[in-house]
Amino acid sequence: MHPSGLYWAWYLLPALVVYLLFMAFPLLDSVRLSFFSDNTGSWEFVGISNYSKLFSNEFFEGVPYIQRYGNAIKNTCVFFCIHMLVQNVLGMLFAVILTNKRMRGRTVYQAVIFLPTTFAILVTGYLWKLLLNPIWSRGFLEGLGLGSLSQPWLGQPETALTAVSLISCWQWIGIPTMMFVAGLLNISDDLYEAAEIEGASKWSIFWRIKLPLVKPVVGMISILTFVNNFNAFDIVYATEGANGPPAYATDLLGTFFARVGILGQHPRGNADRGMGAAIATITFIFLIIGSLIVLNNTRTKEKEK
Amino acid sequence: MKRKLTLALALLLCMSMLIGLAACGGDDPATTTDNPPTDAPPTDAPPTDAPPTDPPPSADDPPLEDVELTMASWRTDDVAAVTDLLAKYKALVPNVTITFQPVNPPDYNSTLEMQLEAGTAADLMYARSYDVGQGLFNKGYLADCTGITGLMDNFAAGNLAPWQMPDGKMFAVPFAAVSHGVYYNKDIFADKGVSVPNTWAEFIDVCKTLKDAGVTPIANGIADNWDILECFFLSMVSNYVGVGATREQYENGDKKFSDDAWVKAYTAIAEAAPYLPSGFQSVTYDDMMALFASGGAAMAVDGSWTISVYDDVPFEWGVFAVPGPNDSKNINFHPDMAIGYNNATKYPEECKAFLAWLCTQEGASTASAALPTGFFPMIDFSIQLTDPHANEFLALNSGREPDARFVWPKLMFLYGPMLDAVNGVLTGSLTPQAAADAVQTAYENPPTD
Amino acid sequence: MKGKRKRRASLRLQNLSIGSHVTLCIWSLIVLFPLWTMVTGSFKDKLSIYTNTFGLPETWNWQNYTTTLTERGSNFPTYFLNSFVVVIASLLLVMLFGSLAAYALARWRSRIPTVLYFVFIGGMMLPIKIASVRLIVLMKDLGLLNTIWSLIPVYVAMGLPIAIFVLTEFVRQTPVEMLEAANVDGASPFLTFWRIVVPLLRPALATVAIYNLIPFWNDLWFPLIFISNDKSKTLMLGVTRLFGEFKTDWSRVLAVLTLSAVPVMILYFIFSKQFIKGLTAGGVKG
Repeated sequence: MHPSGLYWAWYLLPALVVYLLFMAFPLLDSVRLSFFSDNTGSWEFVGISNYSKLFSNEFFEGVPYIQRYGNAIKNTCVFFCIHMLVQNVLGMLFAVILTNKRMRGRTVYQAVIFLPTTFAILVTGYLWKLLLNPIWSRGFLEGLGLGSLSQPWLGQPETALTAVSLISCWQWIGIPTMMFVAGLLNISDDLYEAAEIEGASKWSIFWRIKLPLVKPVVGMISILTFVNNFNAFDIVYATEGANGPPAYATDLLGTFFARVGILGQHPRGNADRGMGAAIATITFIFLIIGSLIVLNNTRTKEKEK
Repeated sequence: MKRKLTLALALLLCMSMLIGLAACGGDDPATTTDNPPTDAPPTDAPPTDAPPTDPPPSADDPPLEDVELTMASWRTDDVAAVTDLLAKYKALVPNVTITFQPVNPPDYNSTLEMQLEAGTAADLMYARSYDVGQGLFNKGYLADCTGITGLMDNFAAGNLAPWQMPDGKMFAVPFAAVSHGVYYNKDIFADKGVSVPNTWAEFIDVCKTLKDAGVTPIANGIADNWDILECFFLSMVSNYVGVGATREQYENGDKKFSDDAWVKAYTAIAEAAPYLPSGFQSVTYDDMMALFASGGAAMAVDGSWTISVYDDVPFEWGVFAVPGPNDSKNINFHPDMAIGYNNATKYPEECKAFLAWLCTQEGASTASAALPTGFFPMIDFSIQLTDPHANEFLALNSGREPDARFVWPKLMFLYGPMLDAVNGVLTGSLTPQAAADAVQTAYENPPTD
Repeated sequence: MKGKRKRRASLRLQNLSIGSHVTLCIWSLIVLFPLWTMVTGSFKDKLSIYTNTFGLPETWNWQNYTTTLTERGSNFPTYFLNSFVVVIASLLLVMLFGSLAAYALARWRSRIPTVLYFVFIGGMMLPIKIASVRLIVLMKDLGLLNTIWSLIPVYVAMGLPIAIFVLTEFVRQTPVEMLEAANVDGASPFLTFWRIVVPLLRPALATVAIYNLIPFWNDLWFPLIFISNDKSKTLMLGVTRLFGEFKTDWSRVLAVLTLSAVPVMILYFIFSKQFIKGLTAGGVKG
């Protein structure tokens, strides 16, 4: 039985109304704004000049725009890679351990792993700033014989981005872990038992059975990580500040956008909203393309199967 | 069964939401707080009451119309102080209630401008000095305050200037200025046998003596990216580069930001780097105050607004002016706060009346008494300050020429580049000459707007 | 014979469990240490926290809590109630609207749902903050400004893309025969949806709920621009204001942070069992 289009339209209506009114319309209107400038007090049409400015050598914050923008893109890519490597791989590892039915205390561990996800970013940022500050942590770390760990990790351009990325992984790891747990638990136990009886090792069970079966989950998590990282702002804001200090080492696309388009640079604070809209639009196009690639890959594999 | 219940609750909730949405379409926002959904949180918790509604009108309504005004500000620290001030005003003018609604400083400019554009901003608002405030006036958001009784007569021209348009129109009433200086722990100074330095060379000597004695000399760090520039470097600049007319020469391009004076200033601040806390890259503004308050560092270069933080520290402390290459002749005394009103307010007369009160001796004294110590009145009447540390700060002005922070009046776009330059020389990633050159390059390439 | 093999396998796994426990214990330590710092720090006083940052307080100072809860302007219970109502209402609406739409998008065979699907998930990728000014005007026209109801439609719209993305993928992977099982007994279509489809979607709905809970609860931006009167403030907005006010007094800031974090943690621990059950029950095992 295949119900008619009108039938399905009723199912779609509530979501569509809310979405169009409170998201699509305001957003499309903002994309339109990327062709305007409000620097003179009223919105003026400026064509593609916001876009061309972004890729030009025109100055912004004392250096050419393209340099700041390129730096933000580079940092965002590093930020994303660290999340994929640490957050998602560790999440997978935790999920495999947590779905081992012979393991004791699973619920407790599960609860603890997810705990930071319930924290406000404000809390996360404040606490880690305190913990990673050598002034307060030195005595404690030296007491443990770990004095060399007492470094201004968040304050050195070489280490700041990694530190912020790891803090972000610390907070969000619960989500991929949970999604992997759900994915792994949905695999029939018969499969493992059969494999165990055949004498397959833990590793080969993981690589040959578990991983292929949770591939759709991997795809979904990758897309979510990708999208969230390219819009990430709060964690840098909470641990470092909207400028992405030190020396713009933690300036992500999200902070760059917020600084240019919404907050304005302290203490001046006059935002260039047309430019902000242009940055967001480019990010959007980029994300759509990236997500389509991931989505297509996981789909094809399903069909092969 | 349980599922059905959840379903029923969910449906009920969305229906009441939709009805609520439709019903309150044209209503006054204040009346919509008690919609049905509040009563149906979908948990097992007993139904809770709607959020508290408006307080009942007072028993003895005066004949005048009751007016409720809101005041926006970036001074979240001052909630108690300003609320007291506004209560005192209400005692004088019973029909006007002003509510203080501060947001945190980094959010202030952006939310304010958005609310102004959408027509939902507060009636009264703190106005930033110089070009940020001028921008809001140019866009028609801030009202013209020039005609407010007492404003043009009771303030010196120099104190009006930060909130004045080039054509002389005022967009706010000056409220308070702040000063900057070096807080020092008198007990540590006495203990280590050092005295207050008068020149930068002496200052570095003091730092060296202290460090050799095992004390962290200066508490400042660079993690928050503003205090090192606003309190520390720009205070030095007043003496290394100059103020007033000299500043204008740089603004006009007659002098270069890569000249000797600037290179010397960057060189000098770089000399202080070894005397900052180790790991100063991670030291935030709050850490700095904590270090000084706990006796963990002997000095902190900071603004006068911090005085009250050290009210209950277990040691004696004082302030001295940030030293220059020779005896310091200038000081970074900054016009910080002013209050303007919204061009679109429903109650312009009430707003003006409040601002006019701030321009009277009585109003200004009341305000000065209510504000936290370290904010100095800008009005011409002599107002006695009670706090000894506040007077100590104010005394730094005598014999010195005060000026706003160097980049504020016309060069705000150099704030970021100059901050990068200072951070660069402190961390050793830039030479003083390279830092100065970078700022000059930024000056030559102003943003187009 | 079979038993013997099984025994050997479980022995091997037991060995592995030690490694697993060590791994998870280390991680738990990394998670719990900051928490310890926050809670113990909130009982210290203004000066002792600087000298004793990580240890137990020498004297337990409750004043940070009592003053925070009772002082004028810190309307904690109201903030809580507001946040709670906003988050729960938004989540329920996201899940309801999202599952309805996802079901239709996955099963309607036509070009229209394909297009709509991409329209929906496109919203996942744009920061809605850029639309702030439009949204303020919209809320003003709807008369919702300064009420907590202004937040719900925005959060629902914010949550829908991810909900539709996750749920649609899930429905697509569910065998059609299962979805149509109820059609036989002639129940009304909507009832079929509730009885058959929604229970099947439960794990995916749990994912959607967790995924949206955090940003809704933590959002600061929209309360900041929509709400300026105290009685409609959400918890995070109230907390940041107090945060700014007390910033020079760490132990007090930590008390405020603890107050804002602990209720969510308690809620989470109470519900975590159901939550994990919901996440893993009713999976597509065929």
